[in-house]
Amino acid sequence: MTDTVNIEINGITLEVPRGSMLIEAADNAGITIPRFCYHKKLSVAANCRMCLVEVEKAPKPLPACATPVTDGMKVQTRSPMALEAQKSVMEFLLINHPLDCPICDQGGECELQDIAMGFGGDVSRFAEKKRVVREKNIGPLIATDMTRCIHCTRCVRFGQEIAGIREMGATGRGEHTEIGTYVEITVDSEMSGNVIDLCPVGALTSKPYRYSGRPWENQQHNSIAPHDCVGSNIVVETRRNQVMRVLPRENESINETWLSDRDRFSYTALNSEQRLTAPMIKQGNSWRTVDWETALAYAVEGLQRAKQVGGADKLGALCSSSATTEEMYLLQKLLRGLGSPNIDHRLRQIDFADQDVEPMFPWLGQSIVDLENLDAALLIGSNVRKDQPLVAHRLRKAALKGGKIMFVNALGYEFNFPVAEQLVASPIGMVKELAAVCKALTAMNGAQVPAELAALLSNVEPHDSHLTIAKHLATADNAAVLIGTQAMGQAELSVIRALANAVAQYSNAKLGYLSPGANSTGAYLSGCLPHRGPAGEKTAPGLHAQEMLNQAMTGMVLLQVEPEFDCADPMAAVKNLQAADFVVCLNAFVTDTMKSYADVLLPVSAFTETPGTYVNVEGLWQSFPAAVKPEAESRPAWKVLRVMGNLFKLSGFDYMSSEEVRDQCHNQASSIVAAARSEWHSGVKMPQAGQQMIRIGYLPIYAVDSLTRRAAPLQNTRDAVGIALHINSATLQTTKLGNEAQGMVTQQSAKATMPIVQNESIPDHCVMVATGVAGSEQLGISYGPVELSKS
Amino acid sequence: MMVQSTKRESKLDLLKAESRQEIDLWVAKYPADQKQSAVMSALRIVQDQNGGYLNNDLMDAVAEYLEMPPIAVYEVASFYSMYELKPVGRHKICVCTNISCMLCASDEIVAYLESKLGIKLGETTKDGRITLKEVECLGACVDAPVAQIGNTYHEKLTPAKIDKILSSLD
Amino acid sequence: MNSIVRYFKGLMLLELIRGLRLTGRYLFSRKVTLQYPEDKTPISNRFRGLHALRRYPNGEERCIACKLCEAVCPALAITIESEMREDGTRRTTRYDIDLTKCIFCGYCEESCPVDSIVETHVFEYHGEERGDLYMTKEKLLAVGDKYEKQIAAARKQDSAYR
Repeated sequence: MTDTVNIEINGITLEVPRGSMLIEAADNAGITIPRFCYHKKLSVAANCRMCLVEVEKAPKPLPACATPVTDGMKVQTRSPMALEAQKSVMEFLLINHPLDCPICDQGGECELQDIAMGFGGDVSRFAEKKRVVREKNIGPLIATDMTRCIHCTRCVRFGQEIAGIREMGATGRGEHTEIGTYVEITVDSEMSGNVIDLCPVGALTSKPYRYSGRPWENQQHNSIAPHDCVGSNIVVETRRNQVMRVLPRENESINETWLSDRDRFSYTALNSEQRLTAPMIKQGNSWRTVDWETALAYAVEGLQRAKQVGGADKLGALCSSSATTEEMYLLQKLLRGLGSPNIDHRLRQIDFADQDVEPMFPWLGQSIVDLENLDAALLIGSNVRKDQPLVAHRLRKAALKGGKIMFVNALGYEFNFPVAEQLVASPIGMVKELAAVCKALTAMNGAQVPAELAALLSNVEPHDSHLTIAKHLATADNAAVLIGTQAMGQAELSVIRALANAVAQYSNAKLGYLSPGANSTGAYLSGCLPHRGPAGEKTAPGLHAQEMLNQAMTGMVLLQVEPEFDCADPMAAVKNLQAADFVVCLNAFVTDTMKSYADVLLPVSAFTETPGTYVNVEGLWQSFPAAVKPEAESRPAWKVLRVMGNLFKLSGFDYMSSEEVRDQCHNQASSIVAAARSEWHSGVKMPQAGQQMIRIGYLPIYAVDSLTRRAAPLQNTRDAVGIALHINSATLQTTKLGNEAQGMVTQQSAKATMPIVQNESIPDHCVMVATGVAGSEQLGISYGPVELSKS
Repeated sequence: MMVQSTKRESKLDLLKAESRQEIDLWVAKYPADQKQSAVMSALRIVQDQNGGYLNNDLMDAVAEYLEMPPIAVYEVASFYSMYELKPVGRHKICVCTNISCMLCASDEIVAYLESKLGIKLGETTKDGRITLKEVECLGACVDAPVAQIGNTYHEKLTPAKIDKILSSLD
Repeated sequence: MNSIVRYFKGLMLLELIRGLRLTGRYLFSRKVTLQYPEDKTPISNRFRGLHALRRYPNGEERCIACKLCEAVCPALAITIESEMREDGTRRTTRYDIDLTKCIFCGYCEESCPVDSIVETHVFEYHGEERGDLYMTKEKLLAVGDKYEKQIAAARKQDSAYR
């Protein structure tokens, strides 16, 4: 038996894989068969009947989406029988479909419109009343007009098969069938926006985009999503120099046809009232809007003065891990040109002990597609479903194939796929759990371990769950250990990293990172680090992010950073920046906090307004052009940095285009070989638990960067968590809080009052107070001791 | 994590112990990983437990018990006509009006019932005694016209027969 | 010989008399010229003059921002921006027609599914300042309000042929 069969469609002989459906064969051959319910990424439902075709020897037309190919099959998609069948189905589908195309947002990109034009008749014989379906509210992202629904059930199948939470369904029967949630609930999937693309009619449309435009007037610009390390391919649609919406661009090896809600709706922040529209300088205590020349001259002069006062060692720069590679490269070049190695993007990281032995860049250890084929994976400190929704989608596929996905986390997260094990422990407890897994592994395969590791493991005792994890990892043909985004902020990162390496080593698994931001990889490759230059070249170590923010520097440059939300210790960061002599902020937004410490505000472009490059977690360089002109007076950051380099009279700043910057950086970095795993290194110590309550500074999905934080539709979802003190009931008993509704959280001098939420998924003796959300800026370090008291 | 949990409060308590036992009998008939196959039986059992109708909480409880998404239970319950989603009377008279019964004058039966009870199809008497319902074929065409009351089929109906049946109901 | 005949005919002023005869005939026939602007020619119901946006009798604007007129306009004279109004309906926030671009082809009128954008019988308008011929939504609605009777009457008369 061969793997292919020969069929004939419309007289064209095709060789197609055995077992595939007719519609797939036709699609691959470029033969159009109309369809509504069929979608290549979803299961076959065959309920719209639009794809009826004539098959030789079959008495009736057959649905192409549910008819497997067989050898010698002869198919006619445009024969009189097929056309008649399609026309009749179209007439039925239109019976209850309202004629409100002029006010429907789908108008112009509607599959029903297109197919009705192509395959339908010209008049309907239906003279009775059309049905009307009550309006439903399913959240701030998706607008519904369920009267338009044709019951293809794509959205229902998406929920079940892709998003992993079935929230929508088809209730009722016959003409009373309705697609919806039945009860009044919101659709809370972090990928829910995809149903907008899936819906072939205007029943599910984008709420933020509602009624604001028409597809034919939008221009498409290819771009790359700026919020997570996946590097999803997107299309930015613009009209008259304004971003109208963001859609996924198909890339089978990265985001398939999907897009996370964060990437889809963050564009709504681009027109935020807080956009910085013109350069501003602080003179005395008042702010003055000036032209670029003045502002740049002022910035350069100020930094030069700061350098004279404190020396180059007291100059520093911080940049967002979602800045483009070009910006990062130029920023580090500028700083290093001024003689300062103090540059960093690891703003939320606390533990830098192992920075010299960490990999050249945080690599996934495999391609994103490979994640689908994992037999076992251990994720450490990761809420992957919310941190990188599209990575979770791949892991979900692996889990559904029988892969064992396991977690060691500081919080008990919910996942949309079967989880083999989830160990939840305090940040320090996590290290012990990992050590126990490691010990179980070494005991299992009798490996010789370095003395230091043996000593580290001596105090832990593996339990059943550790043994299970060890067994799954060791017996899997294809295993991976992944260090998650949440772990990157923990105070025990270096130990976690060392133990994760050991676990990967003894289970022969791949080690990988799920790095924060869109461009952590680009930051490592472009040398946006105090201890390594471009291409990982070792340099005399400068100050890392925490050191820069824990002392008053004389001069600071901040690139798209809001320290009160983006840094591990907002309180100290803002205080020390206020104490700094001269602070230059390059940012797309402006806040009062920013005005309190900055001396110059330079408006720079958001990701849609600048060309750039993101390097995703696979190490894939993806460049994108600017989709629109910069907002008002703002300019692409790479241009600003280039001109600053010129004004400082530094050599090598004569770039004519961002491509030149990228090529230079890329040429240097291309020598780096991707490798995430490293050997055991000495100096790893088991952290000791103190008596104090420990804060777990969870980073929520919609708090990751300044754009997401300002995206109003995202902030109205259930995933957008407000500031609150989450604590389990047993731990709550040990505090003095009693039954208070509000509690005061104290971290040294920082104090904040917030509501108390009893949450049993929090480990004992820990509290969860999120970072990056409004209210968290009044607090100190995200992973560290806290005191609780009555407000 | 609970800060963003989609989990609802557990409603399992709403299922009576005997209902659970009965559901378990049905669950045992299917493979262990396909508990959801018992959903129709479970809904019937819970409906009987609740005096003949289902509400959202009970459906949630069934979903939880059978480890299915609640929406999947709503789908089943709203699809089949034997599940009631609103309160019904103590007795539910389900009159078949499909072709065979219609040919044997089910229209007259319906009209007689309506006039006798003073309610229309789909309504319940004010005292909560009887609900009149139109159903599709009951599969007893040989003895048309047919009505189902509780678990009993009443066949070859005539107005006289209906009087007798109605007077026998409490 | 011929020249002599022409000479005598010329003496008899025959051509002049023939010319005066034509003049005389028109002097007493019915006049077709009008004394514009005091007098005006009749206008077809389908005349395409100044644009207007219409309202429903209850005062609600008809336009639903479907943007078909904008799409169909061959001169790119129409610019529309839209959003959801507070009551949830689809409405324009901007509806501009640049009359200096417009070629009065009537496609906008033809494409409108709700008879909102129409061309009135008004053709005597002018702009005194730069921008006067750039019609905004307010101006268009005002034109519509002013000539609604005329517009409705024209549409009614023409309805049999639409």
